[in-house]
Amino acid sequence: MTKSSDDETGSPGAPPRKRLLLFDDEPAITAPMARYFSNLGWYVDAAGEFEESLALITHRRYDLAILDLRARRLGNATGLELLREIRRHDHWTNVILLSAYVSPEVEEEARELGVDAVLRKPQALPDLAQFAMVLTGGR
Amino acid sequence: MGCLLDRILAPGALRVRFHPVYEIQAGSTATHYVECLISGPHGTTVEAPEILFEYARKMNREADVDRACVTSILRAAGRLPGELRVGVNVHATTLAMDPEFAVFLGDAASAAGIAVERLVVEVVEHTAPRDMSAFQNVLDGVRAVGARIAVDDVGRGQSNFMMILACKPDYFKIDRYFVHGSHADFHRQAVLASLVHLARPFGARVVAEGIELEADLEAVRAAGIDLVQGFLFGEPGPSAGLAAGARAGWPATAGSRRS
Repeated sequence: MTKSSDDETGSPGAPPRKRLLLFDDEPAITAPMARYFSNLGWYVDAAGEFEESLALITHRRYDLAILDLRARRLGNATGLELLREIRRHDHWTNVILLSAYVSPEVEEEARELGVDAVLRKPQALPDLAQFAMVLTGGR
Repeated sequence: MGCLLDRILAPGALRVRFHPVYEIQAGSTATHYVECLISGPHGTTVEAPEILFEYARKMNREADVDRACVTSILRAAGRLPGELRVGVNVHATTLAMDPEFAVFLGDAASAAGIAVERLVVEVVEHTAPRDMSAFQNVLDGVRAVGARIAVDDVGRGQSNFMMILACKPDYFKIDRYFVHGSHADFHRQAVLASLVHLARPFGARVVAEGIELEADLEAVRAAGIDLVQGFLFGEPGPSAGLAAGARAGWPATAGSRRS
């Protein structure tokens, strides 16, 4: 499932909504995460495909991207490759990699590519949202 | 669950909005033709056309998505009054890759009950076609079946002199960048006047895109442009009645965004 939250701009006079890109090929994970962040006021794009994510980062700027490290059911790329593409576009977007298991080598590669955090799955949504707020704070 | 591309290509998934081009004459306004705009499937990340086509490019399926857009547009345009011309956006790269496009266009128009002579193929550009010869052959085919050709967003990106020479268009659609604020910008006025001059030997009509202010409308008219399009006359909408209804006279919404 791929989905954007409905209202991009938020209510008049309110501060601009923070933009979140979710990349995970498992809708059972992205759907509740997208709903949770939308309810907190984020504008959320949830992409299940690598090419879809590429199209989004080409035209939109995100405050935060949460990428599943091993998403590859609908393509051949992983969160690590999307991280590389995001960093080709900008060094501004905060990036969190999520995975059930990350080897030290992969974590090191992610750090070299400029990841902001590597978190273990599963993460409780309130904890993840709190971390996202801290990471993007002041914007 | 299928991939996003399957959702895009599913019948009825793409949505069409109408954006009229008006002909302004002394004391009257008429719809000259109706450009048909596409949005991706509702509730997806590709609702915005720039994301939709970027995704299609990343998937190397731009030609398939363009054809699906044409089919959706012609189906929707069947609701328009029979005499109105219908503007259909097609990427130049698609035309260069799709030698059967003219045949497809004729067949799709016929299936939708629309005379192909009513169609204006608006060539939009992201990157220049790699094979200009193939591109021109397809354009010749489009012209041969009876459709007209427009170059979209003239002056911006790849919609340049080379594209004008390749297309020999019936319409120059001047990008809004040169239109918006032209009333107060001598240099923009100079660009508008030069494009009007350039269009003349091509036998082409000039359309000013992006009219939002009455002052800019006056500026483009002063430059000799009588075909205009923009939010001053209302935003693109799904209603065929809206596109046709504006033919009655000066659009009722005009004046709501005065400078």
